[in-house]
Amino acid sequence: MSNVSQTTAAIIGFAEELEDRSSAFYDELAERWPENRDAFQTFSKEGGKNKGWVIRTYQETISDALEANFCFEGLNLDDYTIETTLAEDASYTDALKTAIALEEKSCAFYQEVAKRSKSLLATIPMAFKRVAKKRDKRRLRLQSMLDQA
Amino acid sequence: MTMLEEPIKEPLQLKNYIDGEWVESEGRVKDVVNPATGKAIATVPISTEDEINEAVEAAKEAYPGWRRTPPLARVRCLFRLKELLEESFEEVSRIQTMEHGKTIDESRGETRRGIEMVEVATGIPSLMMGYNLEDIASGMDEYLVRQPLGVFGIIGPFNFPFMVPLWFAPFAVATGNCVVVKPSSEDPISQVKIVELVEEAGIPPGVWNIVHGGRTVVSGMLDHPDIEGICFVGSTPVGRDVIYKRCGETGKRMIVMCGAKNFALVMPDANLDRTIAACMTSFYGNTGQRCLANANLVVVGEGLSDREYDAFYQKVVDAFVAAAKRIRMGYGLDDTIHMGPIRDEKKKANVLKYIEKGIAEGATLTLDGREFEIVGDFPDTCFIGPTVFEDVTLDMAIARDEIFGPVANMMKARSLQEGIDMIHQIPFGNAASIFTQNGKWAREFQYNVECGNIGINTGIAAPMAFFPFSGRKESFFGTLHGQGREAIRFFTESKVVIQRWF
Repeated sequence: MSNVSQTTAAIIGFAEELEDRSSAFYDELAERWPENRDAFQTFSKEGGKNKGWVIRTYQETISDALEANFCFEGLNLDDYTIETTLAEDASYTDALKTAIALEEKSCAFYQEVAKRSKSLLATIPMAFKRVAKKRDKRRLRLQSMLDQA
Repeated sequence: MTMLEEPIKEPLQLKNYIDGEWVESEGRVKDVVNPATGKAIATVPISTEDEINEAVEAAKEAYPGWRRTPPLARVRCLFRLKELLEESFEEVSRIQTMEHGKTIDESRGETRRGIEMVEVATGIPSLMMGYNLEDIASGMDEYLVRQPLGVFGIIGPFNFPFMVPLWFAPFAVATGNCVVVKPSSEDPISQVKIVELVEEAGIPPGVWNIVHGGRTVVSGMLDHPDIEGICFVGSTPVGRDVIYKRCGETGKRMIVMCGAKNFALVMPDANLDRTIAACMTSFYGNTGQRCLANANLVVVGEGLSDREYDAFYQKVVDAFVAAAKRIRMGYGLDDTIHMGPIRDEKKKANVLKYIEKGIAEGATLTLDGREFEIVGDFPDTCFIGPTVFEDVTLDMAIARDEIFGPVANMMKARSLQEGIDMIHQIPFGNAASIFTQNGKWAREFQYNVECGNIGINTGIAAPMAFFPFSGRKESFFGTLHGQGREAIRFFTESKVVIQRWF
């Protein structure tokens, strides 16, 4: 998928999948490490909200995003594919490290698409920036959980 | 790549919606074919004269009650319709891709534009207000009210099957009129979906009707004495020679929006990256089947030496062709696709005919859309790739005729004035764009160009729902345009009251 001009639909579809897979990952963490269930469940729920936010912004502004297909030229979505598989014997710290890596990639994705969509209606980059910020906060929280582990 | 799920699993059997009932037509049926897959997804009836008369009769009967319904109550129905459309956003978008062939981004954009019409029409209690003045003479006051007229006919085109009837119907209904919609028989499914939601929204029987069909239905509307006005979007020959003429003969008001051949002028100071991106959407969006699509790109050499101009021209053309080559073609439900097929085989044949004509006329075929690749395993029946011609002159048919396909002509003008003169040498006046960073050039362009919709650094000068969709010359027949305040004027008649109390 490199060096192609990504459509807006593909970018939004990717964001949707990113949020769904992240949420599923945190659900698994909540089940495997019940002592931190609340935190992981919060992350999972937040994924649903992020997804809703991005889709709603897209659907409400798409008529003004007609040129959007060409903003994402050369963006390689493979660079932002997240790893959500945990080995059966993975430790808590392994899980947190995987989560941090996931958040870093997700944040990088949202920051990149926010940067590229600056020429579109302001609400589009704003939505991406907002999710990037949330993801970054989450990374910091995970880092502190790792430091305390 | 994600191939989105098709919302239509089995072929649908479409019916007319008359007086709040789904009724089968007595007429013959024809297939609605998905142009990307070649599969029939519905059958649509070609309704009879009796059926259109029945629909007009139902609308006429519903009118007095609907007219007397307070505007606030009328728009509450539209608020509900808006909500239902939002809930069905994805479904109706995918239906458009299936019935028309456009990409999912284009369909979603069309859905949003359609919903925006409903949103603006919900402002009718304020927008429809008249005005007044006390004491125009001793003890006398004068005021103006806008009154609805009765029944309107709406004839939709194939290129925007969801949105275009919504340019008119919500405004007509919100102002207290009743409508009979005839969708394009090529892609009528999304209009059926809208009417299902109209029914659910509680709009009373007879207010919003749908009658499928062809010429018989159109003639029935044009000749019917109980139809007050017609809204038509389609080709210039039909609009000018049939709709405009017949409405004049029968005394109907009309909005007749027709064909186009739009120009984009690229000035030497244009931001080229942004210009080319805008041009890809403009020339190839909706596979060129858009009356606001640009078709002639004029590279303007204002202020440049001959040598500089040659280099600038080449730079623009190279960038345009390189971007056009990167367009991915396929089934619009694949979310990575930039361009879908042409609506049907016959229309593709017409585009091919123009490509051959362009070659015969002496234009240089720089990018041949007849050679293309499709992403995915789909029949090539309706597909045609982005095409670019150079050395195009205004006497050529490819420069003058509306091709309605992905064909771009590269042309030259030494000055801005020459570019503007070129625009005026063709009979259409729908839209024109200029790409520049120079305010003086932009102002000169917007002031002098005889087109209804002007784009400055935008390739598609599509007016929002609260502005009229303008158009001039052979692109528009009538007086008031669709959308916005002009639509409200169109669907109402002014009544002036002068009163004095003894």
